[in-house]
Amino acid sequence: MLLKCPYCEATNENSTRCGRCGLYIGLERTASLHKSLAYLIAAIIFYIPANIYPVLQTSKFAATHGSTIFEGVVQMWRSGDYPVAIIIFTASIFIPLAKFGVLLYLNYTLARCAPKNVRRRIFLYHLIELTGPWSLIDVFVVLILVALIHFQNIAIIPGIGVSSFALMVVLTILSANAIDPRILGEQCEKR
Amino acid sequence: MYRRDLIICDRCQSINKRLPLAAKEEARCAECGAMLYSSDVGLEYKILSWSLTALVLFVLANIYPVISIDIAGMSGSLTILEAISRLYDEGFLFVSFFALLVLVVFPFLLMSFLFAFSLFAVAGIEKEAAKTLLLGVSVIRRWSMLDIFFISVLVAMIKIYEYARIEFGVAFWALASFIVLEILLVRMVPVGQLWDVWERRYHAA
Repeated sequence: MLLKCPYCEATNENSTRCGRCGLYIGLERTASLHKSLAYLIAAIIFYIPANIYPVLQTSKFAATHGSTIFEGVVQMWRSGDYPVAIIIFTASIFIPLAKFGVLLYLNYTLARCAPKNVRRRIFLYHLIELTGPWSLIDVFVVLILVALIHFQNIAIIPGIGVSSFALMVVLTILSANAIDPRILGEQCEKR
Repeated sequence: MYRRDLIICDRCQSINKRLPLAAKEEARCAECGAMLYSSDVGLEYKILSWSLTALVLFVLANIYPVISIDIAGMSGSLTILEAISRLYDEGFLFVSFFALLVLVVFPFLLMSFLFAFSLFAVAGIEKEAAKTLLLGVSVIRRWSMLDIFFISVLVAMIKIYEYARIEFGVAFWALASFIVLEILLVRMVPVGQLWDVWERRYHAA
Protein backbone atom coordinates (compact mmCIF):
# COMPACT_ATOMS: atom_id res chain seq x y z
CA MET A 1 0.00 0.00 0.00
CA LEU A 2 1.22 3.49 -0.82
CA LEU A 3 1.00 6.21 1.82
CA LYS A 4 1.75 9.89 1.43
CA CYS A 5 3.55 11.44 4.37
CA PRO A 6 1.41 14.32 5.71
CA TYR A 7 4.52 16.20 6.86
CA CYS A 8 7.01 15.98 3.99
CA GLU A 9 4.76 14.60 1.22
CA ALA A 10 7.06 11.67 0.42
CA THR A 11 5.44 8.55 -1.04
CA ASN A 12 6.01 5.51 1.18
CA GLU A 13 5.33 1.89 0.35
CA ASN A 14 4.24 -0.58 3.02
CA SER A 15 5.60 1.40 5.91
CA THR A 16 4.11 3.44 8.74
CA ARG A 17 7.29 5.41 9.28
CA CYS A 18 8.23 7.95 6.63
CA GLY A 19 11.48 7.13 4.85
CA ARG A 20 12.33 10.80 4.38
CA CYS A 21 11.40 12.69 7.55
CA GLY A 22 11.19 9.70 9.90
CA LEU A 23 7.82 10.54 11.47
CA TYR A 24 4.94 8.13 12.13
CA ILE A 25 2.55 8.24 9.17
CA GLY A 26 0.11 5.38 9.81
CA LEU A 27 -3.59 5.91 9.11
CA GLU A 28 -5.62 6.40 12.28
CA ARG A 29 -9.02 6.32 10.71
CA THR A 30 -11.31 6.11 13.75
CA ALA A 31 -9.18 8.33 15.98
CA SER A 32 -9.08 10.96 13.25
CA LEU A 33 -12.87 10.97 12.90
CA HIS A 34 -13.47 11.01 16.65
CA LYS A 35 -11.19 13.98 17.09
CA SER A 36 -12.86 15.82 14.23
CA LEU A 37 -16.34 15.16 15.60
CA ALA A 38 -15.34 16.31 19.09
CA TYR A 39 -13.97 19.61 17.76
CA LEU A 40 -17.06 20.01 15.59
CA ILE A 41 -19.49 19.60 18.50
CA ALA A 42 -17.51 22.12 20.54
CA ALA A 43 -17.60 24.53 17.59
CA ILE A 44 -21.38 24.20 17.20
CA ILE A 45 -21.82 24.93 20.92
CA PHE A 46 -19.74 28.12 20.62
CA TYR A 47 -21.69 29.20 17.54
CA ILE A 48 -24.69 29.96 19.79
CA PRO A 49 -23.12 32.57 22.13
CA ALA A 50 -21.16 33.93 19.17
CA ASN A 51 -24.45 34.98 17.58
CA ILE A 52 -26.44 35.92 20.67
CA TYR A 53 -23.94 38.28 22.26
CA PRO A 54 -22.63 41.48 20.68
CA VAL A 55 -19.21 41.35 19.06
CA LEU A 56 -18.84 45.11 19.06
CA GLN A 57 -20.00 47.86 21.39
CA THR A 58 -20.07 51.53 20.61
CA SER A 59 -20.03 53.78 23.63
CA LYS A 60 -21.03 57.37 22.94
CA PHE A 61 -20.68 59.57 26.01
CA ALA A 62 -22.30 57.42 28.69
CA ALA A 63 -24.55 55.24 26.55
CA THR A 64 -23.32 51.90 25.29
CA HIS A 65 -24.83 50.22 22.30
CA GLY A 66 -23.88 46.68 21.32
CA SER A 67 -24.39 44.95 18.02
CA THR A 68 -24.23 41.29 17.10
CA ILE A 69 -22.75 39.97 13.86
CA PHE A 70 -26.14 39.77 12.21
CA GLU A 71 -27.09 43.31 13.25
CA GLY A 72 -23.75 44.48 11.84
CA VAL A 73 -24.61 42.97 8.45
CA VAL A 74 -28.09 44.52 8.46
CA GLN A 75 -26.61 47.91 9.35
CA MET A 76 -24.12 47.78 6.49
CA TRP A 77 -26.83 46.70 4.06
CA ARG A 78 -29.07 49.59 5.11
CA SER A 79 -26.30 52.14 4.76
CA GLY A 80 -25.72 50.94 1.20
CA ASP A 81 -22.39 49.13 1.57
CA TYR A 82 -23.69 46.08 -0.26
CA PRO A 83 -20.36 44.46 -1.20
CA VAL A 84 -19.06 44.62 2.39
CA ALA A 85 -22.37 43.41 3.76
CA ILE A 86 -22.16 40.44 1.42
CA ILE A 87 -18.52 39.72 2.36
CA ILE A 88 -19.30 39.81 6.08
CA PHE A 89 -22.47 37.78 5.67
CA THR A 90 -20.63 35.14 3.65
CA ALA A 91 -17.54 35.01 5.87
CA SER A 92 -19.24 35.16 9.25
CA ILE A 93 -22.66 33.60 8.92
CA PHE A 94 -22.85 31.51 5.78
CA ILE A 95 -19.37 29.90 5.78
CA PRO A 96 -19.53 28.70 9.42
CA LEU A 97 -22.95 27.13 8.86
CA ALA A 98 -21.88 25.57 5.56
CA LYS A 99 -18.77 24.24 7.31
CA PHE A 100 -20.83 22.58 10.02
CA GLY A 101 -22.89 20.90 7.30
CA VAL A 102 -19.86 19.77 5.30
CA LEU A 103 -18.00 18.48 8.37
CA LEU A 104 -21.07 16.57 9.54
CA TYR A 105 -21.48 15.11 6.06
CA LEU A 106 -17.80 14.10 5.88
CA ASN A 107 -17.82 12.59 9.37
CA TYR A 108 -21.02 10.68 8.70
CA THR A 109 -20.10 9.24 5.30
CA LEU A 110 -16.54 8.44 6.35
CA ALA A 111 -17.72 6.69 9.52
CA ARG A 112 -20.14 4.63 7.42
CA CYS A 113 -17.43 3.80 4.89
CA ALA A 114 -19.70 4.85 2.04
CA PRO A 115 -17.69 4.06 -1.08
CA LYS A 116 -19.50 6.54 -3.32
CA ASN A 117 -18.81 10.21 -4.00
CA VAL A 118 -15.09 10.10 -3.20
CA ARG A 119 -14.44 12.97 -5.60
CA ARG A 120 -17.09 15.10 -3.97
CA ARG A 121 -15.70 14.42 -0.49
CA ILE A 122 -12.18 15.38 -1.55
CA PHE A 123 -13.51 18.55 -3.17
CA LEU A 124 -15.52 19.53 -0.09
CA TYR A 125 -12.59 18.81 2.20
CA HIS A 126 -10.28 21.10 0.26
CA LEU A 127 -13.01 23.73 0.06
CA ILE A 128 -13.39 23.99 3.86
CA GLU A 129 -9.63 23.79 4.37
CA LEU A 130 -9.26 26.80 2.08
CA THR A 131 -12.17 28.96 3.22
CA GLY A 132 -12.10 28.12 6.95
CA PRO A 133 -9.68 30.73 8.33
CA TRP A 134 -11.36 33.56 6.37
CA SER A 135 -14.20 33.63 8.89
CA LEU A 136 -11.69 35.33 11.18
CA ILE A 137 -12.16 38.58 9.22
CA ASP A 138 -14.83 39.63 11.69
CA VAL A 139 -12.57 39.04 14.67
CA PHE A 140 -9.77 41.05 13.11
CA VAL A 141 -12.13 43.88 12.17
CA VAL A 142 -13.10 44.13 15.84
CA LEU A 143 -9.41 44.16 16.77
CA ILE A 144 -8.74 46.97 14.29
CA LEU A 145 -11.72 49.15 15.19
CA VAL A 146 -11.05 48.80 18.91
CA ALA A 147 -7.49 49.96 18.38
CA LEU A 148 -8.46 52.86 16.11
CA ILE A 149 -11.44 54.34 17.86
CA HIS A 150 -10.92 55.00 21.54
CA PHE A 151 -11.58 58.70 22.03
CA GLN A 152 -12.93 60.45 25.07
CA ASN A 153 -16.50 60.67 23.89
CA ILE A 154 -16.67 57.85 21.44
CA ALA A 155 -15.03 54.47 21.84
CA ILE A 156 -15.50 51.07 20.34
CA ILE A 157 -15.02 48.25 22.79
CA PRO A 158 -15.11 44.53 22.05
CA GLY A 159 -18.20 42.56 22.99
CA ILE A 160 -18.10 39.16 24.69
CA GLY A 161 -19.42 37.49 21.54
CA VAL A 162 -16.06 37.95 19.84
CA SER A 163 -14.34 35.40 22.08
CA SER A 164 -16.96 32.76 21.32
CA PHE A 165 -16.80 33.60 17.64
CA ALA A 166 -13.01 33.30 17.50
CA LEU A 167 -13.16 30.01 19.43
CA MET A 168 -15.84 28.71 17.08
CA VAL A 169 -13.71 29.45 14.01
CA VAL A 170 -10.56 27.96 15.54
CA LEU A 171 -12.47 24.82 16.53
CA THR A 172 -13.85 24.33 13.01
CA ILE A 173 -10.33 24.74 11.59
CA LEU A 174 -9.08 22.12 14.05
CA SER A 175 -12.01 19.86 13.18
CA ALA A 176 -11.18 20.05 9.46
CA ASN A 177 -7.47 19.53 10.14
CA ALA A 178 -8.23 16.49 12.29
CA ILE A 179 -9.67 14.63 9.29
CA ASP A 180 -6.76 12.92 7.62
CA PRO A 181 -7.25 13.68 3.90
CA ARG A 182 -5.85 10.26 3.06
CA ILE A 183 -8.92 8.48 4.44
CA LEU A 184 -11.23 10.39 2.10
CA GLY A 185 -10.78 7.92 -0.72
CA GLU A 186 -9.79 4.90 1.31
CA GLN A 187 -11.54 1.59 0.78
CA CYS A 188 -12.71 0.36 4.15
CA GLU A 189 -15.04 -2.26 5.51
CA LYS A 190 -18.12 -1.46 7.49
CA ARG A 191 -18.05 -2.94 10.96
CA MET B 1 10.05 1.73 1.72
CA TYR B 2 10.28 5.23 0.34
CA ARG B 3 9.38 5.54 -3.36
CA ARG B 4 11.11 8.60 -4.75
CA ASP B 5 9.84 7.82 -8.25
CA LEU B 6 6.17 8.27 -7.32
CA ILE B 7 4.10 11.24 -6.21
CA ILE B 8 0.52 11.23 -4.96
CA CYS B 9 -1.70 14.09 -6.09
CA ASP B 10 -3.08 16.26 -3.30
CA ARG B 11 -6.34 17.00 -5.03
CA CYS B 12 -7.46 13.63 -6.39
CA GLN B 13 -5.09 11.23 -4.62
CA SER B 14 -4.10 9.39 -7.78
CA ILE B 15 -0.56 8.09 -8.13
CA ASN B 16 1.74 9.79 -10.62
CA LYS B 17 5.18 8.92 -11.83
CA ARG B 18 7.79 11.55 -11.00
CA LEU B 19 9.68 12.78 -14.07
CA PRO B 20 12.67 15.09 -14.29
CA LEU B 21 11.76 18.61 -15.45
CA ALA B 22 13.57 21.14 -17.57
CA ALA B 23 13.85 24.73 -16.35
CA LYS B 24 10.50 26.57 -15.96
CA GLU B 25 8.49 23.40 -16.48
CA GLU B 26 5.70 22.27 -14.26
CA ALA B 27 4.44 18.75 -13.52
CA ARG B 28 0.69 18.29 -13.40
CA CYS B 29 -1.45 15.38 -12.29
CA ALA B 30 -2.42 13.11 -15.21
CA GLU B 31 -5.84 12.54 -13.66
CA CYS B 32 -7.06 15.98 -12.54
CA GLY B 33 -4.47 18.47 -13.78
CA ALA B 34 -3.50 19.86 -10.35
CA MET B 35 0.06 21.17 -10.02
CA LEU B 36 2.35 18.54 -8.48
CA TYR B 37 5.74 20.23 -8.52
CA SER B 38 7.68 22.66 -10.67
CA SER B 39 11.30 22.80 -11.71
CA ASP B 40 13.19 24.07 -8.70
CA VAL B 41 16.59 25.06 -10.01
CA GLY B 42 17.95 27.40 -7.37
CA LEU B 43 14.81 27.35 -5.23
CA GLU B 44 16.99 27.59 -2.12
CA TYR B 45 18.47 30.89 -3.35
CA LYS B 46 15.01 32.25 -4.06
CA ILE B 47 13.90 31.29 -0.55
CA LEU B 48 17.05 32.78 0.97
CA SER B 49 16.61 36.21 -0.59
CA TRP B 50 12.81 36.42 -0.39
CA SER B 51 12.52 35.25 3.21
CA LEU B 52 15.13 37.81 4.27
CA THR B 53 13.13 40.50 2.44
CA ALA B 54 9.97 39.28 4.13
CA LEU B 55 11.63 39.48 7.55
CA VAL B 56 12.64 43.09 6.96
CA LEU B 57 9.09 43.89 5.82
CA PHE B 58 7.74 42.09 8.87
CA VAL B 59 9.75 44.35 11.19
CA LEU B 60 8.48 47.44 9.34
CA ALA B 61 4.91 46.16 9.50
CA ASN B 62 5.18 45.85 13.26
CA ILE B 63 6.86 49.10 14.27
CA TYR B 64 4.98 51.55 12.02
CA PRO B 65 1.23 52.22 12.01
CA VAL B 66 -0.84 50.38 9.41
CA ILE B 67 -3.36 53.18 9.06
CA SER B 68 -4.06 56.41 10.93
CA ILE B 69 -7.42 58.08 11.08
CA ASP B 70 -8.68 61.53 11.85
CA ILE B 71 -12.26 62.06 12.98
CA ALA B 72 -13.11 65.73 13.49
CA GLY B 73 -9.79 66.57 15.06
CA MET B 74 -9.45 63.37 17.04
CA SER B 75 -6.80 61.07 15.70
CA GLY B 76 -5.97 57.45 16.23
CA SER B 77 -3.58 55.01 14.67
CA LEU B 78 -3.31 51.28 14.33
CA THR B 79 -0.19 49.25 14.94
CA ILE B 80 -0.53 45.50 15.15
CA LEU B 81 1.08 45.04 18.56
CA GLU B 82 -0.77 47.97 20.14
CA ALA B 83 -4.09 46.63 18.86
CA ILE B 84 -3.39 43.26 20.41
CA SER B 85 -2.35 44.74 23.75
CA ARG B 86 -5.48 46.93 23.81
CA LEU B 87 -7.63 43.85 23.39
CA TYR B 88 -5.68 42.22 26.21
CA ASP B 89 -6.28 45.26 28.43
CA GLU B 90 -10.01 44.99 27.76
CA GLY B 91 -9.86 41.48 29.23
CA PHE B 92 -10.05 39.45 26.04
CA LEU B 93 -7.32 37.01 26.94
CA PHE B 94 -8.08 34.29 24.40
CA VAL B 95 -8.61 36.53 21.38
CA SER B 96 -5.53 38.67 22.09
CA PHE B 97 -3.35 35.62 22.64
CA PHE B 98 -4.65 33.99 19.48
CA ALA B 99 -4.10 37.18 17.49
CA LEU B 100 -0.55 37.43 18.84
CA LEU B 101 0.14 33.90 17.62
CA VAL B 102 -1.35 34.10 14.12
CA LEU B 103 -0.43 37.72 13.35
CA VAL B 104 3.01 38.06 14.95
CA VAL B 105 4.59 34.84 16.22
CA PHE B 106 3.73 32.40 13.43
CA PRO B 107 4.44 34.71 10.44
CA PHE B 108 7.79 35.59 12.03
CA LEU B 109 8.68 31.97 12.79
CA LEU B 110 7.59 30.86 9.31
CA MET B 111 9.92 33.30 7.56
CA SER B 112 12.77 32.77 10.04
CA PHE B 113 12.53 29.00 9.61
CA LEU B 114 12.59 29.38 5.82
CA PHE B 115 15.53 31.77 6.05
CA ALA B 116 17.53 29.53 8.39
CA PHE B 117 16.70 26.47 6.31
CA SER B 118 17.84 28.02 3.04
CA LEU B 119 20.98 29.37 4.72
CA PHE B 120 21.88 25.89 5.97
CA ALA B 121 20.96 24.30 2.65
CA VAL B 122 23.08 26.70 0.59
CA ALA B 123 26.03 26.24 2.93
CA GLY B 124 25.42 22.49 3.11
CA ILE B 125 25.68 22.37 6.89
CA GLU B 126 23.42 21.26 9.78
CA LYS B 127 21.53 18.53 7.94
CA GLU B 128 19.39 17.48 10.92
CA ALA B 129 18.59 21.05 11.98
CA ALA B 130 17.47 21.85 8.43
CA LYS B 131 15.12 18.87 8.60
CA THR B 132 13.62 20.05 11.90
CA LEU B 133 13.11 23.53 10.41
CA LEU B 134 11.20 22.04 7.46
CA LEU B 135 8.93 20.08 9.81
CA GLY B 136 8.28 23.36 11.60
CA VAL B 137 7.39 25.02 8.30
CA SER B 138 4.87 22.33 7.37
CA VAL B 139 3.12 22.68 10.74
CA ILE B 140 3.13 26.51 10.96
CA ARG B 141 2.34 27.43 7.36
CA ARG B 142 -1.42 27.29 7.67
CA TRP B 143 -1.45 29.27 10.93
CA SER B 144 0.06 32.44 9.54
CA MET B 145 -2.90 34.74 8.95
CA LEU B 146 -1.54 38.16 8.03
CA ASP B 147 -3.30 37.92 4.66
CA ILE B 148 -6.66 37.66 6.40
CA PHE B 149 -5.66 40.55 8.65
CA PHE B 150 -4.86 42.67 5.60
CA ILE B 151 -8.32 42.09 4.09
CA SER B 152 -9.80 42.88 7.52
CA VAL B 153 -8.00 46.25 7.47
CA LEU B 154 -9.71 47.02 4.16
CA VAL B 155 -13.10 45.96 5.52
CA ALA B 156 -12.61 48.10 8.64
CA MET B 157 -11.68 51.06 6.45
CA ILE B 158 -14.90 50.73 4.51
CA LYS B 159 -16.78 50.74 7.82
CA ILE B 160 -15.33 54.10 8.86
CA TYR B 161 -14.44 55.96 5.67
CA GLU B 162 -17.58 58.07 5.84
CA TYR B 163 -16.65 59.73 9.13
CA ALA B 164 -12.90 59.61 9.09
CA ARG B 165 -9.96 60.80 7.06
CA ILE B 166 -7.76 57.75 6.56
CA GLU B 167 -4.03 57.77 5.94
CA PHE B 168 -2.01 54.74 5.00
CA GLY B 169 1.06 54.12 7.12
CA VAL B 170 4.37 52.51 6.24
CA ALA B 171 3.17 49.23 7.71
CA PHE B 172 0.25 49.08 5.29
CA TRP B 173 2.56 48.79 2.30
CA ALA B 174 5.01 46.58 4.19
CA LEU B 175 2.14 44.27 5.05
CA ALA B 176 0.91 44.16 1.45
CA SER B 177 4.40 43.28 0.18
CA PHE B 178 4.90 40.70 2.93
CA ILE B 179 1.69 38.97 1.88
CA VAL B 180 2.71 38.87 -1.79
CA LEU B 181 6.02 37.25 -0.79
CA GLU B 182 4.24 34.81 1.50
CA ILE B 183 1.85 33.75 -1.25
CA LEU B 184 4.68 33.23 -3.75
CA LEU B 185 6.99 31.52 -1.28
CA VAL B 186 4.69 29.47 0.93
CA ARG B 187 1.22 29.07 -0.54
CA MET B 188 2.37 28.38 -4.10
CA VAL B 189 5.32 26.10 -3.31
CA PRO B 190 4.31 22.59 -2.16
CA VAL B 191 6.09 21.44 1.02
CA GLY B 192 7.36 18.39 -0.84
CA GLN B 193 9.40 20.63 -3.07
CA LEU B 194 11.26 22.10 -0.08
CA TRP B 195 12.09 18.54 0.92
CA ASP B 196 13.38 17.88 -2.60
CA VAL B 197 15.78 20.79 -2.08
CA TRP B 198 16.84 19.25 1.23
CA GLU B 199 17.56 15.90 -0.44
CA ARG B 200 19.39 17.47 -3.33
CA ARG B 201 21.56 19.67 -1.10
CA TYR B 202 22.56 17.02 1.42
CA HIS B 203 22.75 14.13 -1.07
CA ALA B 204 20.52 12.13 1.25
CA ALA B 205 20.23 8.43 0.49
